[in-house]
Amino acid sequence: MQPEPSRGRPDHNISMWGAPGSGKTTLLAALFIALTRRNDDWKIVGSDPASSDYLIDRTNALSRGKVFPEASMTLERYHWTLIGPAPQKTGFWGRKAKPGPPARIGLSMIDAPGGLFGTGRRPAGGVSAPDGAGDPRRQELLDNLERSRGIVFLFDPIREFTFGDAFDHMHAPLTRLAERMLASGEFTDGKLPHHIAVCVTKFDDPRVLETAEKRRLLTVDLDDPYRLPRVDSEDARELFRELCQVSASGNADMVLNALDQFFHPDRIRFFATSSIGFYVDRRTKRFDWDDFQNMVPGEADEDSRIRGQLHPINVVEPMLWLGQRLAAIRPATEIS
Amino acid sequence: MPEPDRDLSRKAIAQALADLADTGHLTLVVVAADGVTAFLLHRDDNGCPRGRSWSATWADLVGERGWDADPAGTREAVVRASRAPSSSGEVILVAVSSGDPKAEQALDWLRAAHPAAQVLRAEPPIAALVREVMADDPLTRSYELVVVLADPGSGRPRLTSRQLFPLGSRPGARTRVAVRCEAAGPYGTAFAVVTWQGPAPRLLSVQSAPLVPGRYEVTAELVRPGRVRFTGLPELSPDPRDWDQLVSALPDRLPGGVGPAHLVCAVEVCGADDQVAERLSRARQVISFASGELGDLLRVSLLAYGAHSYDPSAPELPVRVAAWKTDAGEALDALDALEERGAVAGGYPYHPHAAQLEDMLAVVVERLDWADPTPAVVLTVGGRPPHPARTDPSRLLPCPHRHDWRKLLALLRKRQGTVLGAICDQAADQAHQAWHGIGAAALAPLEAVDVRGLAAALGLVTPSPVHLPFPLLDETE
Repeated sequence: MQPEPSRGRPDHNISMWGAPGSGKTTLLAALFIALTRRNDDWKIVGSDPASSDYLIDRTNALSRGKVFPEASMTLERYHWTLIGPAPQKTGFWGRKAKPGPPARIGLSMIDAPGGLFGTGRRPAGGVSAPDGAGDPRRQELLDNLERSRGIVFLFDPIREFTFGDAFDHMHAPLTRLAERMLASGEFTDGKLPHHIAVCVTKFDDPRVLETAEKRRLLTVDLDDPYRLPRVDSEDARELFRELCQVSASGNADMVLNALDQFFHPDRIRFFATSSIGFYVDRRTKRFDWDDFQNMVPGEADEDSRIRGQLHPINVVEPMLWLGQRLAAIRPATEIS
Repeated sequence: MPEPDRDLSRKAIAQALADLADTGHLTLVVVAADGVTAFLLHRDDNGCPRGRSWSATWADLVGERGWDADPAGTREAVVRASRAPSSSGEVILVAVSSGDPKAEQALDWLRAAHPAAQVLRAEPPIAALVREVMADDPLTRSYELVVVLADPGSGRPRLTSRQLFPLGSRPGARTRVAVRCEAAGPYGTAFAVVTWQGPAPRLLSVQSAPLVPGRYEVTAELVRPGRVRFTGLPELSPDPRDWDQLVSALPDRLPGGVGPAHLVCAVEVCGADDQVAERLSRARQVISFASGELGDLLRVSLLAYGAHSYDPSAPELPVRVAAWKTDAGEALDALDALEERGAVAGGYPYHPHAAQLEDMLAVVVERLDWADPTPAVVLTVGGRPPHPARTDPSRLLPCPHRHDWRKLLALLRKRQGTVLGAICDQAADQAHQAWHGIGAAALAPLEAVDVRGLAAALGLVTPSPVHLPFPLLDETE
């Protein structure tokens, strides 16, 4: 990646982190679409040409081609900037003043097939990555996490149900990150200085929605014309805990424990997320409990497709929450 | 006055016999110059007149003491020899000799003993007259031939009887009946005649012969009460089996084609080309085989169904009714067209993991004539599961028409005479649970179909050679 121009330097950096196939690429593409649908002037732009191209390609694939963006096939490093609305400053005697600089949040994603810290339990066809201490890719991820103060951690409950490898992909980098922060004197209170938004993905999957429904965690935003079900952030942690019960390895509960051990409680927030959202019939324009799946599976050699319009759920919110929390602390002094 | 006329005597005896109830007795006492003969007549379980006789000369009755030595003793011996009950039963006294003192004396004693008795005068031989009257006795019960019919609901064989001779029939009466005979085992086909008294039939006679399977025009002739002669058949012999043995020899199914049937073949025509071709080929095999067995009794319907589209811009292909209740030839022609067309509804936006099975069931439920008792065999050839009516954990997208395959299957099962069979791409232990309902009566794997076995399991043919102990009533008559 090319160094950012100093004038466009973000105030803070957020890293996306999650097991391979947990939906990072799709979330990113959905983020662009979700931001475009909002009326609050938040936008995402590439911090370099390669990242812009990547964002355009993946977003087009999702919105026009209705296909899920291709997962990373090679080591990829991308950096984007979330740019918020410029705050209006009030001048003396009510005179209009010049707007202040808009909020800027750097968003980084480093990914590779098979992840960087997996143990090998992954879908067929992928490459299993050894946990080599000197692996430069892993160093790069750790560098990125070290520079960030916000983390978007993606937890795919369906993948966890099938492979149960979320903890495998989490504990090694977390331990290494703690090691680095300890060395740099930023682990003094026994916690990492980061904020972390834990995104429980695939909220649109019937099994996840059913779990939330059984636990009475669902709510509907009265302002939502589609009446899409949601889980408030306050309840998303319980959903996460409930979904950990069906982990294939039985290790998912350790993910929750590790989060509590390494992060301040007030710096952790859970989100029930869906990049594609629920299917809404064009005619009724209402969520239908009898027919809400928004994905048409593909043939053996084809990708799945998006069935209807995209209705991303809790895709922007984790970013903005992190942005708000990071904005409250002093701007980062060293960002790339 | 006694009636001397022989015809009048015959009429009187015949009338008394006709009036004889099932449990009654008629006593005929014939007084002749040399002694007395008693005829005791009754009806057997089938209403046929039966009789026995006893004769005694005057010498037998009085012995060495002589006729006049002990008049009271002689009187008692004469009355006892008549064997007539004193209190019940009709008695007829027949005098065949006039002027003989002993005979007249005996007649007087018997008249005194049975004051209600008719007294007839007739010429001998009386025994022959009694036999003639018995042989000419009109039937007091209907005579019926035991035959087999296919139950219209289940197609299974059931016993019934066809009337040969109604009440009042007399010897010489003839009836023609058309039957079909099938292979019948070592005893041959039994021509059993029964009478009905209450709910259970009573076997009157049974004769049998090994017959070449086929249709027979049989003439039944009433020879005399209790005796029916059949012509139009090879010579019949007495059958040693009793009624219970004959009934227990009735099989569960009829041999060969079991009767009229409506075969509804529904074929999944989405998926790989070679797999679709294989499914259509299996449907062809079953239709051809059933047609060969049932001939014109078979009606065939052919449906083709594919995959649902989940993109409004690509309208899906609905279930295609290629033929409905046609003869096998037309259905096979429609199958040709399906084979020519090949696989449909492949790729996006058609769902790759399920098919319009539930839509197909809805079409069948709607199209079947629920008042038609003809057995319907719904044979589905495919592999994909149906779509659920609404989102469920299977993650299969719900049917766009919200058809519920479980409810539709339950409806079909309720229809009398409906049999569900399937040929599935997968083996039974790997097939989706829906296929176990769709193929409730028989579930065969696509790669190896025992067509005869499948047809037998679906009730289109019998599973093995079946011996039918009775003739089948030819309902085309």
